[in-house]
Amino acid sequence: MTEGRAVGTRKIILHVGTPKTGTSYAQDVLFRNRVRLGLHGILYPADRFDAHFLAALDLMRLRWGGLEEEAIGQWDRLAEQVRRHPGTSIISHEILATASRSQVGRALESLGHGSGGPDEPEVHVVLSVRDLTRQIPAEWQENVKHRRSFRYSRFLELIRDPERSTRLASWFWGVQEIPSILDRWAHDLPPERVHLVTVPPSGGAPEVLWQRFAEAFDLRGLDLDLETGRSNPSLGVPEIALLRRVNRAVNKQIPPDHYRPLVRELLAHQTLSQRRTTPRLGLPPALRQWVGDLERSWVDEITTRGYHVIGDVGELVGSPQMEGTEAEKAATPWADPDRPRERAVARAAVAAIAALLVDNARMREEEARLRAELHETQLALERAYLRPTYRARAKVVRRLESEPAGRAVMKGYRRLRGRSSRSA
Amino acid sequence: MSEARAWGWVASLRDGGTTPWSAWATEADRTGRLLPGAQQLEVLRRVNLAAAAAGRRADPTLVERVLTASAPGRGRPDLELRGAVPPAAYGPPPVDPAELPADELLRVATNLLAEDLVATGVPPLPRPRWRRPGPSYRVAGTPWPAEAVREEMLRRGRPPGPRPGVVAVLGHDVATMTELAYVARAFAEGGPSWADWVRHAAAGPRPAPRADLVAMARAWGERVGPGRVTVVLDHAGLPRLLGTRRALSEPVVPSADVTDLARRTSEPLGLLVLPDAQSALLRRTLLPRVADRPGPPLRLDEAGLAWARETGDRVRREVEAADYAVVGNPERLVPTRGPDEVGTGPDDDRVLALAIDLLVEGPR
Repeated sequence: MTEGRAVGTRKIILHVGTPKTGTSYAQDVLFRNRVRLGLHGILYPADRFDAHFLAALDLMRLRWGGLEEEAIGQWDRLAEQVRRHPGTSIISHEILATASRSQVGRALESLGHGSGGPDEPEVHVVLSVRDLTRQIPAEWQENVKHRRSFRYSRFLELIRDPERSTRLASWFWGVQEIPSILDRWAHDLPPERVHLVTVPPSGGAPEVLWQRFAEAFDLRGLDLDLETGRSNPSLGVPEIALLRRVNRAVNKQIPPDHYRPLVRELLAHQTLSQRRTTPRLGLPPALRQWVGDLERSWVDEITTRGYHVIGDVGELVGSPQMEGTEAEKAATPWADPDRPRERAVARAAVAAIAALLVDNARMREEEARLRAELHETQLALERAYLRPTYRARAKVVRRLESEPAGRAVMKGYRRLRGRSSRSA
Repeated sequence: MSEARAWGWVASLRDGGTTPWSAWATEADRTGRLLPGAQQLEVLRRVNLAAAAAGRRADPTLVERVLTASAPGRGRPDLELRGAVPPAAYGPPPVDPAELPADELLRVATNLLAEDLVATGVPPLPRPRWRRPGPSYRVAGTPWPAEAVREEMLRRGRPPGPRPGVVAVLGHDVATMTELAYVARAFAEGGPSWADWVRHAAAGPRPAPRADLVAMARAWGERVGPGRVTVVLDHAGLPRLLGTRRALSEPVVPSADVTDLARRTSEPLGLLVLPDAQSALLRRTLLPRVADRPGPPLRLDEAGLAWARETGDRVRREVEAADYAVVGNPERLVPTRGPDEVGTGPDDDRVLALAIDLLVEGPR
């Protein structure tokens, strides 16, 4: 795709998913390097790394914890920026995967696709993908990190419903069913403009995934800063079991604006995800055949369609045990998060309590500092009140306020001073 | 198995056709990038049916809007027509659109209706040029009638004052307050269905926040002092309290179906406009168009009514024990309904028919 940077070619790269495939990392690299990209004629129109999230919410008319108000009109603004840019533009957000056919139609039309004019851009669709064997547990885990409290077994039952009649099932397949996503987004694109980035198996070199993204985004050969703090770390089985129980206990008491920093960030991301020795979440043995068959059927479909695969399409067929050496994988039994080892959950809970206490101590220190600051301010204010000139002015105001003529004088004075405050 | 048959059906629906998909046979050439979803096609068929019943054709702009509409939010994606596409190993199963539940079609229809409301805009509130003299007041309490009183006082040139001398907290029996709290919610931010909402609202030890008369009176008492708060249970006494001579008209309470339509429309509307405009569009643009549509009102069921009687008795004791002035007998807080006034709510099919009618009528 390097010829895409040729002068005069308008190109739009739409990275439309899927979740849990390193999308936050890729978006952060694009965001941190947006000025450098601009020098090469590449536009990543964003004022924060996940800026296209709001545009995606707007396009798909999705509610998202109150953010939908900020999203109003964002897609049209994004599309206008892209239309105005003469070179390559990149749009990236994983929830775009679930856009309906008509929403995709609206998105493409707003970007100028299908206009037939000389200015019609060359649209490329990028889909980063990972095997369902890893995506299914990851999606449940993501649900738990977003306050849900249903069991893993219930989640698996819902996504296996052939009618997909629940919101959970329709969302899951909407963002994970690769052939269906590509039907909606790339139906009328030539296969060479549809790029599938496969996520390498766990344990590989971390830079491999970025190299694949760089090829898909046509960024090979550019010297970019790849250091980023963005990641969406996974939890072990006892930790996710603990978090589910925490959700059940606090969901009614902790509003969303506290849940995110306290439970999701402090507990899940900063504390529980650091415990790397506990068993990782995987598929139950009873489902491996079904999932494996599904993965193989998708691989066949993708191969038949002739898309540009960056990586190895075979990586879409997962290994049941996801992390560790081959010997460890063979030796480790499946850990059920609905029936976790209670001692392991208790250890995770102790780590969580410790983290909360440390954070609480930090906040107490901050509170004490603010109290001291407030006390000093109050003392300074009292000293100001004790000045003879202040007391004399206060006496005059009190006397004027006690009679109608004086009140009129004060009203005129305040109007002249440009404020309506009644303070002396 | 023929996509051409599906395109034939699309062409017929574009032309005002009303034949169900299962009875359709004629084929036609493709006329779009992708076939519209089964939900959109069935909504269009219902639009054509409603237009035909009114003796006309659906507006061509509306027809194209339906075909390119999308159901907003989370839910089932656009579905394939059963028999139009070959079986695939992926994707949701194709459907016969006539079998789709009304709830599914309402997602598409209310999205279009929300767009119509935004296109229409909010009519300005008629306000007199001069402010009339009178005591400074505020009106709180049962949300739906309280809002109506506030609007009527504005029309009379009597806006609420910043430092009210009197705060009138309107009260009704607990069952009515609970039902009207839901109506007010439906015409503002929307929310859960009546059945889901009432399961929690009519179960706890206290009424829902918007129906909690004592909590509202207490909140105002803390702001302005309990001596300025009056609980108004006999609404005939309200004009005198507010310093207006003419009687205040009772607000129209919409039927359960109209309320549910507002609730469902509120969802996509909230994705198009900010909350203040969302509420104004529902109350001042949608409501006048549908307020007189007949239909059963929202009514608590037997269990809900038993809860309301028990809770109403507790609220009565709390009002009697408090320091607020009370206009009317506190016994009015306990519902006294007959057995034929329980358990009515919205019906999805009727709500869908109402939404389709409004789409056919077009923005006003």
